Amino acid sequence: MKKMTIRNLLVAMTATATLGTAGTSFAEDPIRIGGLYILSGSAATYGEFAQKGINLAVDEINDSGGILGRQVEMIYEDTQGKASVAIQAARKLVYSENVDALVGLDSSGVAQGMVPTMPELQKPLIITHAATPDVTGKLCNSFTYRISVNVAQNMKAAAMVAAETDATNWTTIGPDYAFGHQSWEFFGNYLKEINPDVNLMSETNFPRFGAEDFTPFIDRVMDSDAKGVLISVWGGDLVNFIRQANTRGFFEEDLEVMFTVGAATEVLTALGEEMPEGVHLSTRYWYEAYDNDINDRFVKAYLDAYGNPPSYNAEGAYAAIYAYKQAMEAAGTTDGPAVAKALSGMSMEAPNGTVTFREGDNQAMVSPNWGVSGPMHPEHGIRTLTNLQIFDGEKVARTIEETGCKL
Amino acid sequence: MSGIGAALLNSLDIGLLLFIIAVGLNIVFGVLNIINFAHGALYMLGAYLAFTLINIAGMPFWAALLLAPIGVAILAVIIDRVLLRFIYSRDVADSLLLTFAILLIINESVRMIWGSGIHVVQPPDLLSGSVRLLGSSVATYSLFVIVIGLLLLAGLWYLFNRTRVGRIMRAAALDRDMAEALCINTRLVVTGVFAFGAWLAAVGGVMAAPMRALDPGMGDKIIIESFIVVVIGGLGSFPGALLGAIILGLIHGFGGRYLPEVNLLLPFVGMALVLLFKPHGIMGKGAHA
Repeated sequence: MKKMTIRNLLVAMTATATLGTAGTSFAEDPIRIGGLYILSGSAATYGEFAQKGINLAVDEINDSGGILGRQVEMIYEDTQGKASVAIQAARKLVYSENVDALVGLDSSGVAQGMVPTMPELQKPLIITHAATPDVTGKLCNSFTYRISVNVAQNMKAAAMVAAETDATNWTTIGPDYAFGHQSWEFFGNYLKEINPDVNLMSETNFPRFGAEDFTPFIDRVMDSDAKGVLISVWGGDLVNFIRQANTRGFFEEDLEVMFTVGAATEVLTALGEEMPEGVHLSTRYWYEAYDNDINDRFVKAYLDAYGNPPSYNAEGAYAAIYAYKQAMEAAGTTDGPAVAKALSGMSMEAPNGTVTFREGDNQAMVSPNWGVSGPMHPEHGIRTLTNLQIFDGEKVARTIEETGCKL
Repeated sequence: MSGIGAALLNSLDIGLLLFIIAVGLNIVFGVLNIINFAHGALYMLGAYLAFTLINIAGMPFWAALLLAPIGVAILAVIIDRVLLRFIYSRDVADSLLLTFAILLIINESVRMIWGSGIHVVQPPDLLSGSVRLLGSSVATYSLFVIVIGLLLLAGLWYLFNRTRVGRIMRAAALDRDMAEALCINTRLVVTGVFAFGAWLAAVGGVMAAPMRALDPGMGDKIIIESFIVVVIGGLGSFPGALLGAIILGLIHGFGGRYLPEVNLLLPFVGMALVLLFKPHGIMGKGAHA
């Protein structure tokens, strides 16, 4: 027992020693931006996409004179997808690494835990991926912004797509945490608003996140009288889901199938032709949806650098760095509260068009993209999206009152 | 309609895959008295090696099923000789710490070598597609997993009960000093058993590769399930690993269909009940068997 204590003590001492050395260098010249992403474990690929997008933006900005004449430097911390780790990492970035601003967050759970601590840090945070409506809703604060589409926006668009189909009996399969449950809740409410005759089945399916085998839930939906199914399973889970659904004959059923994160390029790349044709797929940014110079340049630079078309997560992170450039230059300083203030109501040009951070909840008015899976892309090795719909960001957003945000 | 048959086959396919993995964990604990946290990472290595051999080197699935586990077993011999041999005489807690470190190293190495993206391995042509069985359509590959699981089960039973090697392993598990006194080279046994456990993990990984998306977190997912299997069945017990794995398979296959609201809870309820009434697991004997 005594031996244990001594060892623990040693471990603690070493840990503190490394922490001390990490914080000693003081930022003089470059502007430092802290990135908080999942960089290990199953979802590490999302953090890497963000880094790829950010690296492009930082290189472009530094090559053309930086921000306020200063170079930009990124410092990353791994959130491990856990709120407690993310909060510690953010404190370390702000207090030890002296970052001027933060970008990040891949998970709704992390965002819900972390956002309430932002006023204490007095630095702006732009969320580039996490989609829970709460952080630009009831948990909102004047330091937290989001540049990516949230669940409420995407589900309003989903309900509009669903209302166009013949299906009236709807159910869901989604991961058993905030994202899956909130997706179904918002989708159901919006669909009822548009078409009061639809039936939202009480038989819903929420498998564990990371469940790997979804066969029981696939069978359950096939045996039910559902005519439409909203599927918010994502990432590696979605790859497993679709392959298992293929062997069960799920896609041959008379079902309208809607995947809320189905047009994520990493999923399409892994699946190739195994992604069926004729299902509804959504993403927060589809690289072929926007015909403007910034998008052309971004997609080309991304393809040249990494060989794959950019994912939505890379685009959000790329745009966030440009948002800071514009806000810091408008404020004329890197001072946290001043930059946060400059972001409020700011409009900017991004790959997905003009993006405005709405005053009142700090949510960017960005457009969910929905389409139907089509033939394989001749060069990119992934399914294309046909019947592409780019929903108006303003029209699918909740009103400030509905968000419950009071700034 | 198709309900029960489909649920049963699904349970068996999940259960027997888990058995292949958990039994390796149990054999290593039974003989070496270490709880190998890195077991899931070795499973992941098996899957990624199979991915490399099949998708990159263009080998057939069968070659990967043969070669990848041997590769992982060789790595296990190195891990044993370079690291683990220093801690066999120490407390179990030390082995937990060391194997946890090995897990972190393997996890990060996999991410550095193969990237963090999602990879997919196709089943061999012979086993792709699905067949009608018990009134539902079942992936042919799932049936293959069930057959291999049963063959391994029979093979392991034979090994432990009918062969000299098996008896030596059991002797070393019961009393290593006495085994040594009887001129058994226990060092060889120890290394051999650790490599064998890793081989089993990697066989599980290769078997899982065509039915599971590969990502650098797949080892962490399986180790948690394997620990639940082992707690329910009994740490160190061979029949316990089978029983625990089948119970978990049934919880998954039937729970997901008929009690979906509590499907997350069921494995842990099972674990809590076993811990309350049979603290050493259903087949556990108190000390390791």
